[in-house]
Parts: sequence; C-alpha cells; structure tokens
Amino acid sequence: MKQQASSWQTINEVGMKPKLTRFADHSFFAFTSQLSNRLIRDAQARDFPDLVALGYWLRNANMQKIAEQYESQLIRPLGHVFHAAPGNVDSLFVYSGILSLLCGNVNTIRLSSKVGGSADVLCDILAELAPEHPEVSARFQLIRCERDDPKLKALQANVDARVLWGSNEGIKALKSVETPAHCRDIVFAHKISFSVLGIDALLRVDKPTLQQLVEDFARDNLTFSQQACSSAKWVIWQGNEEHLAEAQNIFWTALLAYLSSEKGRSKYKLTESERYQALNNAQDMAMAGVVSGQMHAEQVVRVWAKQLREDFSEIHRGAGLFVESHVQQLQELNRYMTPAHQTMTYWGVEDVHEWLKDCLVGVDRVVPVGQALNFDVVWDGVDLVTALGRVNSQ
Amino acid sequence: MDLFDVGPYELSEAIKTTMLRQRLVSLTEHHIANCADYQKLFGDIELGSIKQLEDIPFLTVPLFKQRELKSITKDHVFKVLQSSGTTGQRPSQIYLDAQTAKLQSRVLVKIMQEWLGKQRRHMLIWDHPNVIKDKASFSARGAGIQGLSFLGRNHTYALNDDMSLNVEAINEFHEKFSDQPVFMFGFTFMVWKYGIQALQASSLKLNFESAVLLHSGGWKKLQDEAVSTDTFNTVANDCLGSIKAHNFYGMVEQVGSIFVACEHGYFHAPSTAEVIIRNPETWKPAAVGETGCIQVLSALPESYPGHSLLTEDKGFVVGRDDCQCGRKGTYFKVLGRMAKVEARGCSDTFERGAS
Repeated sequence: MKQQASSWQTINEVGMKPKLTRFADHSFFAFTSQLSNRLIRDAQARDFPDLVALGYWLRNANMQKIAEQYESQLIRPLGHVFHAAPGNVDSLFVYSGILSLLCGNVNTIRLSSKVGGSADVLCDILAELAPEHPEVSARFQLIRCERDDPKLKALQANVDARVLWGSNEGIKALKSVETPAHCRDIVFAHKISFSVLGIDALLRVDKPTLQQLVEDFARDNLTFSQQACSSAKWVIWQGNEEHLAEAQNIFWTALLAYLSSEKGRSKYKLTESERYQALNNAQDMAMAGVVSGQMHAEQVVRVWAKQLREDFSEIHRGAGLFVESHVQQLQELNRYMTPAHQTMTYWGVEDVHEWLKDCLVGVDRVVPVGQALNFDVVWDGVDLVTALGRVNSQ
Repeated sequence: MDLFDVGPYELSEAIKTTMLRQRLVSLTEHHIANCADYQKLFGDIELGSIKQLEDIPFLTVPLFKQRELKSITKDHVFKVLQSSGTTGQRPSQIYLDAQTAKLQSRVLVKIMQEWLGKQRRHMLIWDHPNVIKDKASFSARGAGIQGLSFLGRNHTYALNDDMSLNVEAINEFHEKFSDQPVFMFGFTFMVWKYGIQALQASSLKLNFESAVLLHSGGWKKLQDEAVSTDTFNTVANDCLGSIKAHNFYGMVEQVGSIFVACEHGYFHAPSTAEVIIRNPETWKPAAVGETGCIQVLSALPESYPGHSLLTEDKGFVVGRDDCQCGRKGTYFKVLGRMAKVEARGCSDTFERGAS
C-alpha cells in the first residue's frame, strides 16, 4: 500500500489563502499575459506544439476579447471549483482552468499521474510564475495526488463546482464522490470524433490545397497520436461512390508522402510500438467482423468498414488507425450518431451547417479539417464561461 | 524430400524457400478453412498470388491473448499452452491437438540433436523443481523445462525453492557426471544470476568436461547489467568447466520452432522455420542488416493459426547460408522488445487496479 497522505503535492504553492475576485480582474490579465509570453518564448515549451498553441490562446488581446464578449452578462464567480485533468492531452486542463479563473473562481486542479512531457514543462513555468502572482496562483492551485486520497474527497465535499475530464469509468468514479447539493458538475467524458471528406472536391483539388489538407489532417489527428477525443478515428467519404477509389488514392498518397517527408517526420512521431498496436488493433477488429480484412498499413493503418457502427469508440485505440466508410449523403450518418460523437471535421463537403440542424443526437462540434484541436470557449456544446460563472438575468 | 526429415541446417536458400512456401501456403489455406476469425481477416487473400515467403499473411502476436484462435474443434484439443503474460494481461492461449504436439516434439528433437548429439545427456536444470509443479508460474518456464526434459536423463534441479544453490544436488551431480556428456538448461537471467553469479560467490568449484548449456529468455535484464554474450560465456566457463553455451530464441506461440545461436553468436533458422525482418513504418521486408520487427514463420502449427507471426521483438538478418559456422539458412541477431509507450486514452482519472 502506498502512503496516501504523503503523496499530496502542490506544484505552485504560495502559502496564502485564496480569495474570490470579480470577473476579469486586472490581476487575471497580468498573469495570463505573462504566462503567454513564457509559453511562446520558452525554449523548452517551443518543442511542444500544444504549449505554443496555448501561448497564443493566452495572448492578452485574445483574453480581453473573450472577457468583452461576456461583459454585459455581469458574471460573478461560482466559488471553489475542482478540476480533474485528463490524461491524454497534456495541456487541455489549462483552458477550462483559465476560463474559471477569468470568472473569479478559486480553482484546485488535480493533474493526471500519466501526464508528462508538455504538462511537466507547463508545471515548471507555473511554479516559477507563482511568487510574482501570489493571489492568482493561490486561486489556481495545481496538485498531484492519488485518485482516492482522503484529502481529495474532503476537498470535493466543499466545492461549488467540478470540471471532470476523463474516461467513462473515471467520471463514474468521480460522480460517486460526495459533493454539496448545489455543486455544479461539468462533465467531459470519453468521446469519439470523425472526419468527413468530399469525394468530388478531392477529384478537383489543386496541389497546394491538397498539401494544406493533408497537413491539417495530420495536425488534427496525429498530434497526440490520435489520443485526443477530438482527433478523428473514423474517415467518412461523402459523395459519388464511383469516384471513391480515386479520391482515396489522391488523399492517402498525399498524406503518406507528407508523413514520410522530413517535415512530416519531425512533427509526427508515431513510435514503433504505437504502429504495432494500430496494426494489431486493426487485425483484432477484422477478426471481430467490425471491419474488412483488407488493410493498408503504411505509416498509418487504414481499414474499411462497410457498415457504420456505433461502438467504434469502445474498440478503437488510436495510434494511427483510420477506419474508412462511405456515405452518399450526410443524412445517412444520423442514425449512427450517439452522445459520444464529439467533433466532426469536414473538408469539401457542402451544406454542413444545414445538415447539422437536423442531426439531433451526437456531434457537439463541427469544424473544418485543421481545427479539431483548437480550443474554444464552447466545448462539447458547453459554454465554459457561463457554465463556470453565475450569469445575471436582466 | 520431406521438410521435417531433412537436417535442420542443410538446405540452401532456394530449395528451402520453395519447400517452406508450399507448406505455409497450404497451412494458410487450412487455417482459412478451419478458423473463423482467421478467415474473416485473410479470407479474401488470393493464395495463388503468394509467390514469396514474404507474401504469406502474418498475425500480430497479441491476438493470441485477445482471442481464442484455433483450427480444431474443442474435442480435439490435446493441450493448451499459455505464455507468461505480464501482470494485468491475459496470457497467450495456444491450442494443440495431438498431431501438432507430435510434430513439435519431432522437430525440436531434430534441432536439439544438432547441438547435443544423438545420445541422451545427463541433465542439470538451472531452476527449482517446483517451477513445473507450481501452476502459477508453470507457463513459459515450466513448459520450456518440460519440453526439453525428454532430451536428457538423470534430471537434477540445481536450485532450491528460494532460488539459492542446491549445493548438495549440484555436488552429487558433478561427482557422478563431470566426465560425461552433460546437458544444462535454464532461463538466461536465472542461469546468470542464481547460477553463475552464485557459484562465483560460493566456494564451489565445478569442472564439467563436456557440457552444453542451452538458455533462452531474452537478454534485456542482462543488458541492463551490461553483461555481453562474451562475458556470459567466459564466466560460465570459469565456474562450470568446459561449457558450450548456446542462447536460443523461441516463443510459446511457435513451440518446436527454435532458433539456436551458433558459436559465433548468431541465431539460425532451421529448415522448418524462417525469419523476415519488417520495417515498422511500412511493414515491408527490410534489407539484410537493416533493423526492424521480427516475423517468424514455422511449418508446424496446424491446430492453431500460428505459422506466420509478427512479433514485438526487434532484430536484423546478418546473412543467409554463409555463416562462418557452416550451417545453412538465415542467421540473425535479436535486439529485444520494441520500446513500449503506454497508450493513453482520456482514461486517467480512473486507473484500473490502482495500488
């Protein structure tokens, strides 16, 4: 048995009691703009595209813009917010944490024991900033501890809201922890995402546009080895089936060329064991009859599914594995959508937003290919600012 | 000429490849017809288009942990072999019928006779006797010992249950047989740590005059302790006497097909087996000398579809038919397991089976 009490570790300790503040307090902008500078300039942070992206998101102009959008709603804090960070996308927790900070809340963020890499760099930076920003840091405490640490349970018994990222099992376990009756839970459970590519558009595509498409596709889906919930695991070809093979050929040939190029190699490094896992996963799915046995396994593994399935999310383990299917019309997708379907990225597909109006189940978010990992104030269909604050009804 | 009768290191590449290809194509056909899961994966393959060994479809090894793969009906199951799965993992399940089991022993004997001679040697096992009684650890270690035991006689276990040297047993064995042909067997790391190193630390001086030590199980732990093959062999000779030590590479998924390392330290594919190295980016065959994933082909598995497997081990082919030891066939090096990266879903907040 591990000693549970001793495993509690605060990363940016400031030895000060946290206090609530008003919405968009000036101390918030002082903190975020300095954090932004550090992330954009720090030599270590620059090795991680997710930290650079975070740095840009935290730019003062962007933070001011977000604050302005909500100014008229007279938002005031909820109180003490507990955040359970996810294990797959190292820096995702910061976005919801920062928006909660904007609202004036006191935040305790439990980091996943699995995160490493970019999250470690980020923690170092946050710890270094703490002495200069004691009040804000006190409102933004990062901790590491065992999942069932008694102190963590005690903390949750007194919080006003929780932001829970995690697997379905993880969320269920967290939901069984006792919280005050008024506690507001904002839940981001396991999701699966897909990408829709237009067959006709690919037949007409010019070279630079195709290059941009495959680079965007790679960024969306391979930045975190396909582990991010918003990375597509499923590629739907939409349009005339007669031209399907030609469109596939154009797209995958260009993607493989990019992934084999020096630029592609430097950005996306699937490990040997990930590649092996993807191949094994594909073979297992074929034996289960979920996908056909014919597969391509160069750089990424791709398999064909004649029938769309609801349960891909249960068996698909990412790491560079794409299941392909075909639809003539987007409407054919609707019957397979479940609340687990999160992001749909699209390219060369018409009337997507018109279709979305009648897609009543699933699909929290529809964005062009290339934006799957862009964080938005609205996530999984939830406006995080209004969800993490109290809006004054006028 | 029968693939199973010919000497294991006699066939040159062209003849061996043709014979092995025919056998492997017919095994592929057999498993497509008799194993439903295998059929779903490879049923569409045009068998006539298999021109080379590299065209034989291969299975990833973890499938034997994930699924029950067999090409026989339940009532023909004679024995189920299990791998030692790492904690939290299901072990591999290998289903044998009497015929495949018989073929395995027959081929194993043929290969072993090359290294041990035809005479049955006195056998010293570098393990404790309970390893074949203890159900939990029976798996790989126990099965290995059992599988090779019939090649020896006067079986003596050199270790006690607590892995200490059984000095009395070793002394008795040494007194009786030091001047006779001896066969020693054990798992590489056990032989090193609990055998050789323990002997060095003790005052026991052994001097076997004609012993062959076969050991398997990977070098990873020895590499961590920076023990090379040369060091291993030199120290083994120092404290055991005149020992010919041979490492061998094999797995529970292909029992009987073993790759024994020659005097020059290269693993040799026997006539009934072959290795192909594959580039993990394209999964295409790699050139001689190029490192990649090891695929193992075996002519033996009839009762389960294990005749062509892509392992998680890395290695490279050194050459074919021209090893200095004089044995024909492909010879290669094994570099150990691929570095594992923990797969991370968004499943962190709940770790299964946390301490």
